[in-house]
Amino acid sequence: MKAQLPTRVAHITAILIGAILTAFPLIYLLAGSFMTPSDLSAVPPKLIPTEIEWENYPRAFEYFGARPFLNSVVFTMGVLLLQLVLGLTAGFALAKIPFRWTALVVILFIIPNFLPNNSAIIPLYLITRELGWVNSFAGMIIPIAGQTAFATLLFRQFFASLPDGLIEAARVDGAGWGRTFWSIAVPLARPAIAAYCSITFLGAWNIYLWPLIVAPKQDLAVLTVALAPLAKGQYAYVPPGVGLAAAVLSVLPVFIVFLFLQRGIVKAVVGTGLE
Amino acid sequence: MTNIDTAPDAGRAPSSGALPASPRQVAGKRRRLVSSARTLNTIAAALFISPSLIAFTLFVSVPTFVAFGLAFFDWNLFGAPKWVGLDNFVRLANDPDVWQSLWVTVQFLAFGGIPTVALSFVAAALLDTRLRGISFIRVFYFVPIIVSVAVSGVVWRALYAPQGFLNGVLATFGVSGVNWTLDVRTALPALALMMIWLSMPVMVILYLAAMQRIPDSLYEAAALDGAGVWVRLWSIIWPSVVPTTLLVCGISVITFVAGALEVPLIMTGGGPLDATRSLALYAYQVVFVSQEVGYGSALSALQLALFLVPATLVLIGRRFGREKS
Repeated sequence: MKAQLPTRVAHITAILIGAILTAFPLIYLLAGSFMTPSDLSAVPPKLIPTEIEWENYPRAFEYFGARPFLNSVVFTMGVLLLQLVLGLTAGFALAKIPFRWTALVVILFIIPNFLPNNSAIIPLYLITRELGWVNSFAGMIIPIAGQTAFATLLFRQFFASLPDGLIEAARVDGAGWGRTFWSIAVPLARPAIAAYCSITFLGAWNIYLWPLIVAPKQDLAVLTVALAPLAKGQYAYVPPGVGLAAAVLSVLPVFIVFLFLQRGIVKAVVGTGLE
Repeated sequence: MTNIDTAPDAGRAPSSGALPASPRQVAGKRRRLVSSARTLNTIAAALFISPSLIAFTLFVSVPTFVAFGLAFFDWNLFGAPKWVGLDNFVRLANDPDVWQSLWVTVQFLAFGGIPTVALSFVAAALLDTRLRGISFIRVFYFVPIIVSVAVSGVVWRALYAPQGFLNGVLATFGVSGVNWTLDVRTALPALALMMIWLSMPVMVILYLAAMQRIPDSLYEAAALDGAGVWVRLWSIIWPSVVPTTLLVCGISVITFVAGALEVPLIMTGGGPLDATRSLALYAYQVVFVSQEVGYGSALSALQLALFLVPATLVLIGRRFGREKS
């Protein structure tokens, strides 16, 4: 189907305008991270720094220190791995091990998802406090890793698509469920694991409210928590360019992941919408 | 787990046994095998499932339902909770701050929720084409998905600052700017725009996936009839993605009702003059600033009641989406 020329031109123009508008804040983030305060408040506004202010980056790093980076990595990896193990095992069992209560368990996983998380955050905090995990990595990681519905249902869906014959063949050969899971099912699940990792990585790296509430201690601040005060402009002594450089530093890891796993992320988003 | 090797056979129809054993012996043995295999399957399933189910119950299901229960207590996070019956709900009905924050939430929905759905639909329709290089261009539309509320806060602060980018553009044309996040008139739309930017990628992706499932034959038939762009859009694309629209509307309501918490918390703290203090933010402040857990839970319960509508939409959207795909 060939559209007429003017229509095509209008279409392409609209696509490009939309692309520029959507990406603009991130372009400005990068450009502004190399600007001096006077560049950032220039009239007419600047998109290219008059003089590249490299200094913003060391100063941003100085503002953060190494600790929030480390905390973010530990937190994200902790959530990613713990939830992966929980989701893989449960998803496998719900798809492949004959079990009387499978349907009931699946329903138990589905129902609470329709209630938004934020109203549960108070009791979640209280439970974490009862466990004695306030101001600890355990308190930051385990309650978030415990939100296993997405991972469990994702892996269940994937394992259900594997032919039963594969699993049965292993079982006839004398492999127990543990071995079947570990040496047959898990290696086959690589695409699903990749989809899970990309989505969960984004979510965990960017999470803000939970670490803020459960670990108010400065030593435990993850990048989002360390960065947020700059958004309020609370610290007048941090020049805006330094704040932007700090934001670039904290978004860089996810940006790299996004560039490599973009298709996987898109697929996973579609998957969660239809699951 | 030594017996387990017999399990796969056990559940199946009996094969014509080559074993020289009496029928009764065989039947007895088989029954034992069947039941032991079943037990082992049950044990294995329980071992595999319980860690995930226990964690989910403890950290999702229980908090979700306890959230209701706390609304009937008076509690300051320390000491023993005191049962107060419906007192918190009575207070809620008479609290002018509740009505103010509800109004803010409605405004967030109007300025953010509805435009997000409309813009996502338009963006996806634009991107649903086979032009060369389109997959590269799509990345621009998807990329805000990687941005945290904190990072976006810093960027939009630079755009909205009194001497920031936006006012710089205005000043270039001789228009004097506003202090976007500190002016009662502009603060809420400014934050809503930020939230639109943050939440659009997921919705564009969902819409685009739905549009790509529309069979080519529909378009070809329309083209034979000489249909133009608008006919394509309104008579083919729009009706075909109704389930996705329901799903996207549901997500949008959740984003702009429950999600209207982190962005105002980071950007304005609910100000100026409570102009951006949504119900979600008010509940948060009541619990974590005033430490009135019971009252905060009552506010959350009110918010939850507002959610039954979008939750139903998501449910219906998912069901239709699955049937179609």
